[in-house]
Amino acid sequence: MEKRSGLVMGLLVLAFCVALAAPLAADAPKLIIGAIYVGSVNDYGYNRSFHDALLTVQKNIPGVKLLEAENVPESAEAERVMEGMIQQGAKLIFPTSFGHQEPAFNVAKRHPDVYFEHAGGWMMAANFGNYFGNTQAAWYPMGVAAGKMTKTNKLGFVIGVPIGFAVGNVNAFELGARSVNPAAVTTVVVTGGWSDKAKEAAAANALLDQGCDVLAMHVDSPATIVRTAEARGAMSIGFQSIEARALAPKGWITGLGFTWAPYFTEVAKSVIAGTFKPSSTHLGLGEGMVTVAPFGANVPADVRQVVTASADKIAKGFNPFTGPIVDNTGVTQIKAGESWGGDKMGDFKWYVEGVVGKVQ
Amino acid sequence: MNAPLAIGVIAGAVLSGTSLLYATLGETITERSGIVNLGLEGILLIGASVGFASAASSASAYLGVAAAALAGGAANLLFGWLVVSRKANQLASGLAMMFFGIGASALVGGPFVGAVITGLPKWRPSFLAGLRWVKSTTLFNYDILIWLAVPVALLVWWALFRTRWGLGVRAVGESAAAAFASGRNPAMIQYQALFAGGVLGGLAGAHLSLSLTLTWAEGMTAGRGFIAIALVIFSKWHPLRAIAGALVFGGAEALQLQLQARGADVSPFLLDMIPYVLTLLVLLAWGGARRLAAPAGLGRTFYGSE
Repeated sequence: MEKRSGLVMGLLVLAFCVALAAPLAADAPKLIIGAIYVGSVNDYGYNRSFHDALLTVQKNIPGVKLLEAENVPESAEAERVMEGMIQQGAKLIFPTSFGHQEPAFNVAKRHPDVYFEHAGGWMMAANFGNYFGNTQAAWYPMGVAAGKMTKTNKLGFVIGVPIGFAVGNVNAFELGARSVNPAAVTTVVVTGGWSDKAKEAAAANALLDQGCDVLAMHVDSPATIVRTAEARGAMSIGFQSIEARALAPKGWITGLGFTWAPYFTEVAKSVIAGTFKPSSTHLGLGEGMVTVAPFGANVPADVRQVVTASADKIAKGFNPFTGPIVDNTGVTQIKAGESWGGDKMGDFKWYVEGVVGKVQ
Repeated sequence: MNAPLAIGVIAGAVLSGTSLLYATLGETITERSGIVNLGLEGILLIGASVGFASAASSASAYLGVAAAALAGGAANLLFGWLVVSRKANQLASGLAMMFFGIGASALVGGPFVGAVITGLPKWRPSFLAGLRWVKSTTLFNYDILIWLAVPVALLVWWALFRTRWGLGVRAVGESAAAAFASGRNPAMIQYQALFAGGVLGGLAGAHLSLSLTLTWAEGMTAGRGFIAIALVIFSKWHPLRAIAGALVFGGAEALQLQLQARGADVSPFLLDMIPYVLTLLVLLAWGGARRLAAPAGLGRTFYGSE
């Protein structure tokens, strides 16, 4: 009796293994990509931009399998999630939030055969690269758009945390607005975090209460601010993902969005070919990582022309941070003849003249 | 402080303060019956996510409000089973409920992140609509939850202080043993108080997702549940003083944002501290008598009714 049941058990186990292996053998993917997000991919913002790019990579390279994990905290928990993806066969991992850098670097040390491309940091290793989009100069044409469309000359900018890159975005925005509308003033409200929806709604309401009629933002998701502006009849300029324009059919002017797909496709192809080279890649408008969103329905043709011309100027290399530039306390921060380039974008500790706000 | 700033602060105070008021009222009822619910944050999140999910699936924000209220009540009943029937420690169970709420709300709300809903309709009385200083603001242009906030506070006051049921709730909160000896059923009364408190907590969460932000994101209440617990103490367990507490905290939150929006020459980090510092200052200034104002049986487990 024991021998017979042992044989039956053995056959069952074998059948089970074959059943498991069969689908695997049938269509082994060319490459398994893992991606971890700090929020939800349906945020019309930062996380969505990565998700959309990876879906495009799947279209560009047939046979790519995508593993995604949302709401992964920026802590050691992220290591566990990435290890799980590697166990499932992932060979290319995209940790998409700044705070995922260290956990990802730790996992990279343990798995030299798995490649990592981290967004927004600086660490590098043989299998670990870093990249991000240069957004500061790209905000200049957004300022131009806002400066032309505003009727009250008051622009509002909600930022999550006043890091140098966000402050630089505000500065470029105001410089652009002033270039077409010398009376334009940008007021900055800081919510304290990259993703606090109730605070973002309250901040947007506060700016609208004080007379702003165009809102821009640098937070993870533009959705709440865009919708608040739309509900109160104000205009908005989006950020992170150009898909946010669906939320404001009347008030949307334009916006900036990340287009990671070309870079991601290149990296994925290099991993498949075995030619991955770590790099620190930062591309801006016109260089492949940042794009200007389509204009809203209520933007007149002459404004579209001016904004597109301004965006082209930036894409061709115009640097809005060319001196003399005075900050909002009267101190000259960039002297005549000087200009601040890409490596100084994280160093902004002051707002330009015309911005109402204090960095710290 | 001039007119636009004052109006902005009042407008912001009402918007932010409403969900705080509902949460505080709910917690007031449960604490009056002797039960501390530290898991209020979880109840708010459950209300917000269930409300948003229902509104997104049914295209009716009012259905979302009803679903949020029921879900909050049910969650509080679950908490009640832990602390009343199983007689577990209230503080630990409350924290466990908070984590449960965070997880359950993420599970329920997950499929609906990014859904676009119409939200609760707003209504402004016509005789105010024409006023110049009202028109461009959010003043008096409110959804039903904001309009009902003060009436509900009055209802809670009336229920607790003018009805037999309320007398029973307060009796159980002061001394469950005495209430039991006088013929009441402390467990049943605590369950009823918990359900009422949970319904109000669910409404507080629903207001956040169905009216203020029109979205759902994990953990979106950002600590409001704990602020409400502090406001219950701030208002000495009295529903009418809770209105003042919610307005003070909501107003402080609005003030710091309005000050930034007007270009105050103060660091935004310091301004961000204003609501919490203000709450601490008020508690310090009027703190002494609060210890005596708490229901005497708050947090104690009654073992006698088996």
